Amino acid sequence: MTELLSVQNLKLKFKTDEGLVTAVDGVSFDVAPGEILGLVGESGSGKSVTAKSIMQLNADNSVYDPDSSIKLTDDGKTIDALKLKGTDELMLIRGGAVSMIFQEPMASFAPAIKIGSQMVEQLVLHKKISEAEAKSISIEMLERVGISDAARRFDQYAFELSGGMRQRAMIAMALSTRPKLLIADEPTTALDVTIQAQVIDLMKDLVAEFGMGIIFITHDLGVIAQTADRVAVMYLGRLVEQGPVRNVIRNPAHPYTQGLINALPKLDDLGAPLTPVAGDIPSPLERPSGCVFHTRCPVAIEGKCDKDVPEMFPMEPDHDAACFVAAKQEEAA
Amino acid sequence: MSDTPLITAKDLCVYYGLGRKLIGTTPVIRAVEKVNVDIPKGSFFGLVGESGSGKTTLGRALLNAAPISDGKVSYDDGEVQYDVASLSKQDLKDYRKRAQLIFQDPYAALSPRMTVRDIIAEPLEVMGLTSSREETDEKVREIAAKCRLNLEHLRRFPHAFSGGQRQRISIARALVSNPKFVVADESVAALDVSIQADVLNLLKELQKELGLTYLFISHDLSVVAHICDHVAVMYLGRLVESGPTRELFNNPRHPYTQALLSAIPSLDPDHRGQVQKLEGEIPSPADPPPGCKFQTRCRFATDHCRREEPKLEEAGPEHEVACHRWQELAEKEAVG
Repeated sequence: MTELLSVQNLKLKFKTDEGLVTAVDGVSFDVAPGEILGLVGESGSGKSVTAKSIMQLNADNSVYDPDSSIKLTDDGKTIDALKLKGTDELMLIRGGAVSMIFQEPMASFAPAIKIGSQMVEQLVLHKKISEAEAKSISIEMLERVGISDAARRFDQYAFELSGGMRQRAMIAMALSTRPKLLIADEPTTALDVTIQAQVIDLMKDLVAEFGMGIIFITHDLGVIAQTADRVAVMYLGRLVEQGPVRNVIRNPAHPYTQGLINALPKLDDLGAPLTPVAGDIPSPLERPSGCVFHTRCPVAIEGKCDKDVPEMFPMEPDHDAACFVAAKQEEAA
Repeated sequence: MSDTPLITAKDLCVYYGLGRKLIGTTPVIRAVEKVNVDIPKGSFFGLVGESGSGKTTLGRALLNAAPISDGKVSYDDGEVQYDVASLSKQDLKDYRKRAQLIFQDPYAALSPRMTVRDIIAEPLEVMGLTSSREETDEKVREIAAKCRLNLEHLRRFPHAFSGGQRQRISIARALVSNPKFVVADESVAALDVSIQADVLNLLKELQKELGLTYLFISHDLSVVAHICDHVAVMYLGRLVESGPTRELFNNPRHPYTQALLSAIPSLDPDHRGQVQKLEGEIPSPADPPPGCKFQTRCRFATDHCRREEPKLEEAGPEHEVACHRWQELAEKEAVG
């Protein structure tokens, strides 16, 4: 099967005054065309850093492991995203084959430049088309994402739009270059539930229409259940579980995924107590030995989980989890 | 409940002027318009609505932290009674001890230059509640322990803490003056789900231990459903529905409440696409629509709704709803 994106063994450290800090430690996943991959985890789990690696947007103090590879297949050509150097080459992925939308749409638009000018600028740069053409494409895209009176909005500034509308404009801008892969970093976290439902619907429609792959980063498992085809759960820079959305949410194998699901308030059982995941996420400066989750894990085996690093064990077809305990249970069953 | 409520708001209005005009009347934003609400003693009172619905303004008005333009807010904790809209300087000082606020963003709410001990001690010093440093330290240690912060934490600065720990520090600061009424404004919205559950459980424990009454402002209905015993729903400055949590969530009567409930993403992947969608966005409070404020987005709106604003009506025990058509729609729903 031809994957659109294949991330293999991604390892990334940051050089800081306190020494090298591991942000991502051996993450591998694939995204197929037309597939929505949900990337879940707490703040500090490395999900944004992983996504930014694909576009090489991490700060200058980042050090990639030489074995890491991020391969993007576009029209039969394969680009190794980590080998690209210089602005010209990077433009192949940045805004070219890959677009990104961020959590805070107000911070993503320049406040003193009209929305339209910003949309036209990137289209002209990437598609080598005239400004007039770019303008008509931009207005068409604004209409497509459900912005009424698009021609007038085109000449407005970001502050004149409401939060939901800004996020739509952001999506329109990201998709106007027809990327093969869209990275959405917490695109609905800052929005109201009603607007969130609208944006989620819009993104699902656009995937069906354009057939691109999406990496959807969020900490909200409810949003993941409603949007994603596959889920990858991250904790402290490692992938702890990965599989089709139904399997992961119905039969979570890793204690961390189970903890995340138990911590979520459920509407069909109001009396159920909320169970937090015990403790806080450790500082990346003090990474636990062995399984990174063993310090907060309710079922950790002493002498095993704090010493050995678990690999990804198969649970169900296409569903893997990095946990010794879950692997043992699976074997017994 | 036969007890007098802790907080009673009657026809509470908060208006903000929009600059001056040379000709004609000054335009005003009606952020909160004629809101009536009773918050019983010892309750966990939820207030929900989209951004722009006026829930934060209402919360602040109850604390006398937003200008009360019209109407009345009374506070009665059994020891003292205040008319919150017209407090004397001396009474306001006392009211500040009794009514406190926990903010949304624990990263912005704590000064990075103060140690945790100083942050928690500040209200005590400002309000002159303690007479010596020893007494202050004693109180700080006591409340810190209740909020599950240990002694070593008190010497550090906020940057050394995670979001959940910071929120526990903000809670300790709000509770150190021993308040009776606490407004928690989106206090878990900035936290990860794993930590959110921990902070919610802490708020609940502290309520039992210290006899607190909360006004819990949130846009997350699933959180409100879990923790609150009473919920009020706001839209464009008006209260559109209120009732005991179970009653409200099992029988939502206002189309807006129904839409809010169905917009919560379900954890069941096969539940997709059953969302009752709400088109458009909340109108600007500077230019509200005539009649029912929700009519521009309501799929049941009639000419009557466009002309006349509905009043709150009784829809069940303690359950009130402001919709012209709730009865008719409820009957239709019952028939199938």
